Amino acid sequence: MINKIKLDKILKKVEKPARYIGMEKNSIKKNLSEVSVKFAFSFPDVYEVGMSHLGMHILYNLINNEENYVCERVFSPWIDMEEEMRKEGLPLFTLENKEEVRNFDLIGFTLQYEMSYTNILNILDLSNIPFYSKDRDDSYPLIIAGGPCAYNPEPIADFIDLFVIGEGEEVTLELLKLYEENKKENWDKNLFLRKAANIEGIYIPAFYDVLYNEDKTIKEMFPIVEGAPSVINKRIVKNLDEMYTPDKMIVPFIDTVHDRITMELFRGCTHGCRFCQAGMVYRPIREKSPDRLMEIAENLLDSTGYETISLSSLSSCDYTSLELLTKQLIEKYEDRKVGVSLPSLRLDSFSIDVLKEIERVRKSGLTFAPEAGSQRLRDVINKGVSEDDLVKAISYAFKEGWSRIKLYFMIGLPTETDEDVMGIKHLSYLVKDLFFNRPPQERKGNFKLTASASCFVPKPFTPLQWYGQDTIEEFMRKIYLVKNSIKDNKVSFNYHDADLSYLEAIFARGDRRLSKLLVKAWEKGCKYDGWSDLFKFDTWMAAIEETDIDPYFYANRTRKEDEIFPWDFINPGVNKSYLLKEYRRAIEGERTPDCRKGCRACGIQNCEMWGVFN
Amino acid sequence: MIFRAVFTKKNYLRYISHLDMVRLFHRTFNMAMIPIKYSEGFNPHPKFSIGNPLSLGVESEEEYMDIEMNKEMDIDEFIERMNKALPEDIQILRAASLEKAPAVSSMIEWSFYELKFMTESEIDLNELSRILQLWLEKDQILMKKMKKKGKGKIEVDVDIKPLIGNLVVKEKDEDGFIVLNSLLKSGEHGNLKPINFLETMERDLFIGIDLESIMLKRLGQYAQENSQIYKPL
Ligand code: SF4
Repeated sequence: MINKIKLDKILKKVEKPARYIGMEKNSIKKNLSEVSVKFAFSFPDVYEVGMSHLGMHILYNLINNEENYVCERVFSPWIDMEEEMRKEGLPLFTLENKEEVRNFDLIGFTLQYEMSYTNILNILDLSNIPFYSKDRDDSYPLIIAGGPCAYNPEPIADFIDLFVIGEGEEVTLELLKLYEENKKENWDKNLFLRKAANIEGIYIPAFYDVLYNEDKTIKEMFPIVEGAPSVINKRIVKNLDEMYTPDKMIVPFIDTVHDRITMELFRGCTHGCRFCQAGMVYRPIREKSPDRLMEIAENLLDSTGYETISLSSLSSCDYTSLELLTKQLIEKYEDRKVGVSLPSLRLDSFSIDVLKEIERVRKSGLTFAPEAGSQRLRDVINKGVSEDDLVKAISYAFKEGWSRIKLYFMIGLPTETDEDVMGIKHLSYLVKDLFFNRPPQERKGNFKLTASASCFVPKPFTPLQWYGQDTIEEFMRKIYLVKNSIKDNKVSFNYHDADLSYLEAIFARGDRRLSKLLVKAWEKGCKYDGWSDLFKFDTWMAAIEETDIDPYFYANRTRKEDEIFPWDFINPGVNKSYLLKEYRRAIEGERTPDCRKGCRACGIQNCEMWGVFN
Repeated sequence: MIFRAVFTKKNYLRYISHLDMVRLFHRTFNMAMIPIKYSEGFNPHPKFSIGNPLSLGVESEEEYMDIEMNKEMDIDEFIERMNKALPEDIQILRAASLEKAPAVSSMIEWSFYELKFMTESEIDLNELSRILQLWLEKDQILMKKMKKKGKGKIEVDVDIKPLIGNLVVKEKDEDGFIVLNSLLKSGEHGNLKPINFLETMERDLFIGIDLESIMLKRLGQYAQENSQIYKPL
């Protein structure tokens, strides 16, 4: 345990000390000397963000459910806390037992966004653990990582001993079991890693080498250790009803990003939006049954005291029994004042009917994501929403009493023209007119429209993975085009940082050569890069220069069709030839219908949907 | 009908803010299915109030709370259900049903504290007792306080002597902390924060208190009638 007197001294000085104390309802504190495997789960961001992440709650309970294993949490200390810890010489500790992170067997990072990578380095540093795997002898904890960004693990491959690719529910326990067996004998990290490499979904970066062409692209990536597979298949859970699902979740004392229960309706998505990584890598679609969900809801409500259930998935309306489920939930928990919330809705009147059911009294704002301003561009990205759909859905929403609308767009999509960009204004004004063209006596509430634009970041394993990102200047030109044209106090336009998206693009499609850039940026003081007020763009640019990295090569260059990508050795189920076909169709502006309406042969083996829909 | 409950707030949970405590109890009432009254309106919230909130970072053996109940409920069952849903460092010690009573927040006049600190150099406890005794015998004990004046703030001296009930040197504990006990005026009708009390003590007496090391704990709270003090429950 760390020095408690020092900790108390620090906690009295920092903002929101409850971030660092643990002890929340449903947190689990075991005796560390009585377990055989100690796992520290690390979310490389501040407590409130990490605690809002469903995956953390699942893994935490999954591991602690095993008597002999323990999982404790560690988050990035906020800036003030870090400063005090460094001043007092206090190492980073877990929330439950206040034990030094360094004393755990494994540290598992969850990779939710690229811009958290410097926080990973900071966590290692605060734990007195060397960054590079090659610099850590057998006395150090094993550093592992998983989560959506692990689909391109290469930018942090030099720091991580082992990656878990795909869904973690099953493979985590297989891995810990192997660890337990190996720890009982004489612990030999290399030997363990060799055995682990045989588990499906496990990637050991040190077992591979990469050769490059003269133009800096990859020539070949190959295993250098016998037995290391040349292709890593993602892990997937077949039956979500039978999968381990926790019956409780930790209830933080302080306000977090999502103060509510989150229930996953299904995994996967069939729309095939061409910019969306989740929509490709989480295929095929697998649903949880409404019965199972009602059971989970009851457990979670009883064990947390929360009053809101959020139903999560990539596109909630696709859930087969959505209406039935929401009705059941609302009826059953009416007198417990439980509310249901439904993020990620589509633009149709069916969704609004469901919403009507859940927001009987108070109509909060409605959020829609047309993603692109013109029909042509929506066809390019395969976002199956027409202006007609939007008009119908929103008119209906106005009739039902909603008055605040948010529209999400992306800028910098392939083949985009200024006309497409101005479509953002066009759609926004169209929605405004829909409201004010209603007879005055039928207008309910105060109309307000917010159009919000983010800068497109091409992601691995999407049909747009070949496409070069717009430069910052081009992004800003387009943003100002829209911004300067919107002059209406009922319509506001806001946009995300192009600087941040630029760096995100570098790392999203980056390779192993970027590790030195991360270390350099960290040395220069970069951390919490995802927080726009802490993001130091100039420092990053200086680090890029000093490490001789060509940012254009990673972010802005449109790749040749036959280029070998750093992530090509991972098999996410959907194959590259399908993605390429989709890329070509994108450039041609050809739509590809939802694969529920007919299989597009994306490469998924034994797809659940074959029997059901085709 | 009002339930009055006494609860603890110990160890690391001293770092939970008052607002977070309110949210914690809100959820706990839900979880324990306590028939509590809700306010009317769009956003109904349960009707209860924590009397005399603690400062962040202060522990307590005895906090008070008044709860408006919708229905009668067995007290023991109330305590049992609440304690099952509460964390172990926040537990209800006792509770009672009151037909009519002034709000607990308006009753509290005094808090009894444990004050712990380290000193820069060794200090003899008897010597410390003697110095403190002499200090308390002064006609006035002046504390610097910031006061609003117009737009800005000015520093004024206030006499805190009437706000001090007693002060005793207890011991030096195993970690090397000097432990004092003190009864200080507390609540809506005058309040002396123990941290300000110790700061004033240090400013006047140069004991060498390491202000960053100070640990505070509320041991009890009292109402007063004439010259008698008593617990609100
Ligand atoms: S295999 Fe066919 S049905 Fe299954 S996800 Fe791929 S395209 Fe859709």
